[in-house]
Amino acid sequence: MAGRAEPPDGGWGWMVVLSAFFMSALVFGVLRSFGVFFVEFVAAFEEQAARVSWIASIGIAVQQFGSPIGSALSTKFGPRPVVMTGGILAALGMLLASFATSLPHLYLSIGLLSGSGWALTFTPTLACLSRYFSCRRSLAMGLALTGVGLSSFAFAPLFQWLLNRYAWRGALLLVSALSCHIVACGALLRPLSLAEDTAVGGPGAQLTSLLHHGPFLRYTVALTLINTGYFVPYVHLVAHLQDLGWDPLSAAFLLSVAAISDLVGRVASGWLGDAVPGPVARLLMLWTTLTGVSLALFPVAQASIALVVLAVAYGFTSGALTPVAFSVLPELVGTGRIYCGLGLLQMVESVGGLLGAPLSGYLRDVTGNYTASFVVAGAFLLAGSGILITLPHFFSCFSAPTSSPQDLVTEALDAKVSLPREEGLGEE
Amino acid sequence: MVLQKVELHTPMSPLDESGQTFNPGQTGSTPAPPPEAFIEDGPLAFCNPLRIRHRRGWFRSGENRLNLQRLQGRERESDSPFTSVPVREEMMGKYSNLSSESHNISLTEHSSMPVEKNITLESSSIITLTCQYTTLGNLNSINVTWKKDDELLKNFSLAITGNTLYTEYTTTVINSKQMGSYSCLFEDEKEQRGTFNIKVPELHGKNKPLITYVGDSTVLVCKCQHCYPLHWTWYRSNGSIQVPIDVHTKEKYVVSGAYRNETKLKIKHLLEEDGGSYWCHAVFQLGESEEQLELVVLSFLVPLKPFLAIIAEAVVLVAVILLCEVYTQKKKKHPDEGKEFEQIEQLKSDDSNGIENNAPRQRKNESVSQ
Repeated sequence: MAGRAEPPDGGWGWMVVLSAFFMSALVFGVLRSFGVFFVEFVAAFEEQAARVSWIASIGIAVQQFGSPIGSALSTKFGPRPVVMTGGILAALGMLLASFATSLPHLYLSIGLLSGSGWALTFTPTLACLSRYFSCRRSLAMGLALTGVGLSSFAFAPLFQWLLNRYAWRGALLLVSALSCHIVACGALLRPLSLAEDTAVGGPGAQLTSLLHHGPFLRYTVALTLINTGYFVPYVHLVAHLQDLGWDPLSAAFLLSVAAISDLVGRVASGWLGDAVPGPVARLLMLWTTLTGVSLALFPVAQASIALVVLAVAYGFTSGALTPVAFSVLPELVGTGRIYCGLGLLQMVESVGGLLGAPLSGYLRDVTGNYTASFVVAGAFLLAGSGILITLPHFFSCFSAPTSSPQDLVTEALDAKVSLPREEGLGEE
Repeated sequence: MVLQKVELHTPMSPLDESGQTFNPGQTGSTPAPPPEAFIEDGPLAFCNPLRIRHRRGWFRSGENRLNLQRLQGRERESDSPFTSVPVREEMMGKYSNLSSESHNISLTEHSSMPVEKNITLESSSIITLTCQYTTLGNLNSINVTWKKDDELLKNFSLAITGNTLYTEYTTTVINSKQMGSYSCLFEDEKEQRGTFNIKVPELHGKNKPLITYVGDSTVLVCKCQHCYPLHWTWYRSNGSIQVPIDVHTKEKYVVSGAYRNETKLKIKHLLEEDGGSYWCHAVFQLGESEEQLELVVLSFLVPLKPFLAIIAEAVVLVAVILLCEVYTQKKKKHPDEGKEFEQIEQLKSDDSNGIENNAPRQRKNESVSQ
């Protein structure tokens, strides 16, 4: 069957945006709001806080490391069956967790089972979205990823209400029912065949070609570095503010302000990414540099006004780099290899994400305050943005068309940037 | 026997006029008198000169219209303004580790009623309550009384300095009978009252009901921030009656507590009947303090209904999406099929025309051949 030459850039694509919106809400919104369950688990299982927080960490790790598998399966079978299976797995994991009698039980059910469900869901959906759009890809990405931010506003109070009414067992049961809607999101992902699909071959061939793809590898390194620094504010900002003498309520409020500006940044950057000609990688470099600078300035700011401004700036710029990061990838590797590219990207950059927060914590323990942590995080971001300059067509005045197989080779790494945020918030 | 304390007026008094604590041993200029004790009917009273503050002391009778009744017993003849009596040694040992506290209320003729002070006591103590009343009028015409929960008290002292009338009441609190509200009343034109509320520490906990499921086990916690009860007891309530919990049935209830100021009741193998109100009592030397905890035991069916409803809704959603897609694909095929159908119809009609033409020929041929 002959595929289309160009992505539809609309039409059913907007339904895919809707699907991606709800999916990112149900995957990362749930992960982020899991902190609400944290207190209940500590009391119910009489375990230490560190051991309970492993539940979310395992879930995030499985989701990230399992991404290539989700991608490979999507390449072979199309995104729809894979995402629907992922939804069923995620819901099943939560269902089994509601019967848990000990903490390892939760590690396996939520961490492993739901985590693998999420692995089969997130990457294929976003990759499918990239295939549906070319001119408005960044905007579509930005709109879809707002689901993460909005859901963490909605789910945290919702989960707390569920806990008050049904205790943690009943609440997990209902979160499982909620996760079933991922299956509905998957049903919306109509398969799309594009012209270059036949050119790039099956998942094994794609993975091999990606691993030999210079720009893709460079992009992977850049995003890994970006990921390392990206999470630090979400994990340590509250503690840093309390060190400066802020009370917990004001500190949490500041995080909410940053989250709102993050939301605005995502949509604005998505629109900008499509409106500005030239490779999207340049915008990514701009946002990454600004994020790195605002991070590095955090220790310098002492006055409340300065901190609020910096938090807003950080929120906006880090939200802005998210959709752009996903958009650069199709430009580099092409929409034919997007599934595998995205999966591989997620897996490698997760190393940065998993190392970033503990490294920052270690620096804090060694130096006694967060100055070193924030400066190092900013440095990682700037290093990552530096590597972005090495991407092909960086200095050209027009953007390369995304459908031709030659361009597939040059795009690679857009997807990663949004991921660090979601991952780090599991620790909140 | 009534004992009163009165003010020392001599300027050569060993008391520090600025109000600092007088410790005879520390000044060095006067010999340190031994600590004194008074024996009264009822509670034992100590008067410790180390605690003398601000214009308190002993007054020999005759120099003022305020009386000092002498104690029965031996009185030391000396220039020392203190008197002493022998104290039974066993009683000394019994009460030697009592703590002592003093509390003060200031009133004027313009004070708004009522002026109260809350005193929290856990264990036996000697309490000294002082009220001072400042007015520009005539202090001598004021009638001073002390009451405990509307019962008149007798053993209090009075003193006047300048514009202020001081009155003091000391009591030893050793059991719950001495807890309550102690009031000093000054009857001037208006009655001014100061009240000291002596209570055991209260327990303040979270009032959220604890929700659990059948078959689970749960832990009820009672904590007291700054108090250390002698022990804790747990009760259940059926309506208004509190029934003690039998904690020796180890299969069901386990009481534990890591620190003295908290207690935990673990209930295993929960049943629906285990739901209700639970009470933890903190027992002090001077009384008890209690807190109510609410336990709700749900069966699994309670969250199951919304669960099934949401799952059903998700299934319906998936079905609708897939059916819509199948429907739109069919619609797309139908216009194409429509064109093909017409073509097939045309071919068929051509064929049938051909066959009809052929058939008669064949028959004709056949008929001819025969």
